[in-house]
Amino acid sequence: MNMQTTTRLTAAETALVEAFASQIGELPGNGAVIGTRDRLLDDLKKAGLPTRRIEAWHYTDLKTLLRMVPEAVPASVIDPVAALVEGSSVLSVLQGAADARATVEGVQIEAFKEKLADGSAAAGLTALDKDDVIGRINGSFVRDGFALAIPANAEIEEPIELQALHAAGQVHTRFPASFGAASKATIVERHQSVADGAALVSSISDIALEDGADVTWIILQRQGAADTHLGQIRVNLGKDAKLRLFVVNAGGKLVRQELRIAVEGEGAELTLRGVNLLGGDSHTDVTLVLGHNVPHTNSTEIIRNVVFDKASGVFQGMIRVAPDAQKTDAKMSCNTLLLSDEGGFSAKPELEIFADDVVCGHGATVADIEKSHLFYLMARGVPEKKARAMLVNAFVAEIVEELEDEKLVEALEGVISAWLEKHA
Amino acid sequence: MPAVQETIDQVRGIDIDQYKYGFETVIEVDKAPKGLSEEIIRFISAKKQEPEWMLEWRLEAYRRWLTMEEPTWARVDYPKIDFNDLYYYAAPKNVTGPKSLDEVDPELLRTYEKLGIPLKEQEILAGVKTSKVAVDAVFDSVSVVTTFKKELQKAGVIFMSISEAIREYPELVQKYLGSVVPQSDNFYATLNSAVFTDGSFVFVPKGVRCPMELSTYFRINEKNTGQFERTLIIAEEGAYVSYLEGCTAPQRDENQLHAAVVELVALDDAEIKYSTVQNWFPGDKEGKGGIYNFVTKRGDCRGARSKISWTQVETGSAITWKYPSCILRGDESRGEFYSIAVSNGHQQIDSGTKMIHLGKNTSSRIISKGISAGKSNNTYRGQVSVHRRAENARNFTNCDSLLIGDKCGAHTVPYIDVKNASAQVEHEATTSKISEDQKFYVMQRGIPEEEAIALIVNGFVKDVIQELPMEFAVEAQKLIGISLEGSVG
Repeated sequence: MNMQTTTRLTAAETALVEAFASQIGELPGNGAVIGTRDRLLDDLKKAGLPTRRIEAWHYTDLKTLLRMVPEAVPASVIDPVAALVEGSSVLSVLQGAADARATVEGVQIEAFKEKLADGSAAAGLTALDKDDVIGRINGSFVRDGFALAIPANAEIEEPIELQALHAAGQVHTRFPASFGAASKATIVERHQSVADGAALVSSISDIALEDGADVTWIILQRQGAADTHLGQIRVNLGKDAKLRLFVVNAGGKLVRQELRIAVEGEGAELTLRGVNLLGGDSHTDVTLVLGHNVPHTNSTEIIRNVVFDKASGVFQGMIRVAPDAQKTDAKMSCNTLLLSDEGGFSAKPELEIFADDVVCGHGATVADIEKSHLFYLMARGVPEKKARAMLVNAFVAEIVEELEDEKLVEALEGVISAWLEKHA
Repeated sequence: MPAVQETIDQVRGIDIDQYKYGFETVIEVDKAPKGLSEEIIRFISAKKQEPEWMLEWRLEAYRRWLTMEEPTWARVDYPKIDFNDLYYYAAPKNVTGPKSLDEVDPELLRTYEKLGIPLKEQEILAGVKTSKVAVDAVFDSVSVVTTFKKELQKAGVIFMSISEAIREYPELVQKYLGSVVPQSDNFYATLNSAVFTDGSFVFVPKGVRCPMELSTYFRINEKNTGQFERTLIIAEEGAYVSYLEGCTAPQRDENQLHAAVVELVALDDAEIKYSTVQNWFPGDKEGKGGIYNFVTKRGDCRGARSKISWTQVETGSAITWKYPSCILRGDESRGEFYSIAVSNGHQQIDSGTKMIHLGKNTSSRIISKGISAGKSNNTYRGQVSVHRRAENARNFTNCDSLLIGDKCGAHTVPYIDVKNASAQVEHEATTSKISEDQKFYVMQRGIPEEEAIALIVNGFVKDVIQELPMEFAVEAQKLIGISLEGSVG
């Protein structure tokens, strides 16, 4: 450890350190897990929350934005809600505690608490790099979640919904999921606030796709207007694996969604789609770090953002093509409808390329609704307000339709329409 | 077109290994002791017979610089620079006011001859209206000869070395110096503010269209002298000026530091076009030697309907750290940035632009073409920022990278910040290699591989070449081909 002078901690940093001290006795985990938690918190204390001087947090100065951390309160009684898609198997995590009785046919399920208790989770409680504050916070405080293992060749027909509901307080969850070779499944990871009052949520999903696995993973974030959501998805794609990752942000006051994806097997394919609906005085940051590490892999990323009110949005998308990762084909685009003069959007689509035989590109646009489109609709007697709503809806619905599964498309479109109706 | 022929001859045969301009002129030099201190700054200021306010300005910058840290965010890698192991002032002797070319040290003239600056040609060319180029030749730090002064004077254009301008037009310099790049702007700009030795000063008065292209050849000569140029260009209401900057430097083993500052000010309806061809020594095959180029260039579109356009062709230097920017303050002002950055061998380039939209109805356009070959790294880093009150701002950005070989890297880091809903910002970037089909098509017609690549690359950068003044366009095209030599096989 280097001899760094201790810097003054902010109120939020102090609150985190104190929360850890008061909770350490009751946090689940064996010796190895507790040792890891201690280390992560120590690093958090030393590095503090990131400021804009840390490049990865350039647009989200967490030190300033995270002013306070709500106290961890004991779980109140929360009832599960209806699944997003009818017929799904629901695994609920209520105020950070997994429903241990839950089962899904053909899938191995274990409450994450058990993995902490027997120490098998210790190795995964890591920070990915020196600026990974989400890894540190979650690793220090995580209490529960679900570990899923889909066996090789298994085809799970109906979606599995990871339903994380909470009221005010602190919730730290984790969802490790492994998909065996040639397995097939759809997972809906849903984060939702069901009561008023501020909450701090951190959640990490570790997703591993073995050779030929074919997975659709949907993240639906609908936190409350006072909530902080720190989400992270860690993905590892094996040979010929296919992942369709859909991220929908439609809530929260301060949101950071980190997508850390490593394409490690030849022939692997990633399809990332993002819809960010931003309103109020919220700040939402989606940060993608995508590594194409082997030859012959493909990815496409499309992110659509709609900004109302005083909201600010951020998309940072880094595509890194490793030396020798020839024949990589990566295309990223980020389109934003900025509908308010008080709002703002910042995009930083990055390419870092060390192989020569690749086709990589990115595009980014920020604009208001196209006047001619509006005119077209209004000329046909559609009132302006409705015409605008139709155009905004079409702008994001287009992305959702790519999901193909009709029930899923319908459910997500419902969420989007409801949000737009409330904010537009 | 003798001037064009001259440039063709000049660039013919430049090779990354046999850098033609790597000669050293033996000439008496008057220089300050090594290192940097308040005494050295006083020495420089006294040498240049500067007024008191100028010395104070320098000292203020120096004191500020002592508190600053060298930036490390750029994707460049180099050994730590010992700023106390450099000479901050070196001036060729016997240059106090030569009245004609005959009075200039013949050794110096021979250097220019080798460089291919057609100083003498200029006088002959004087009659040819279309290819008039006034050269303010900078040999190390002091402007030695300035031609065409008289003709420019007739038009009311002031074009002289900045040291002269500080003596002759102190009010003008004081008014604008540091108004675009403040003393405390960044580490290298602050260092430059403290120790700058020379550079160009251009002032184009209201309503005047500068009758010729203005041009400066920079040249680093003396061993271990950091070159700290300071250029200030002001175009008053309705004025127009096109400024060309071209560079060569002799071959050295030790790395040389260059930290220039260029400030442009465009008032209402004024237009400034600034073109650069940078061809400094990039280091040898093993990456040894070469120039460190840490430059701060910024234009301020202060007036309504003003326009500033940067065009650059970067083929030289071991390390380039350069972001020519436009502050679009005036309503309906426009900023443009056209860039070709070619890196080969062990070169590292981290370059791009900033377009800061502040006024209403402002527009900007960025076209950047990066070509990486050998073991080089080439990064585009740019920012487009639309501020809250910048109604109807428009930006179009296109940055393409071309990779030649599998040991090099091409990176794109754009920052897009929009805070006004009426803005329309578009950014696109692509990275790819030369397609085998294209290469096959050309080679199949009997053109050798290296030439075929040069041909395709020149097609790739055409959009930017078109923006260069005629004299530079030919030179640039040749240079690109030459810079890529040895990149195949």
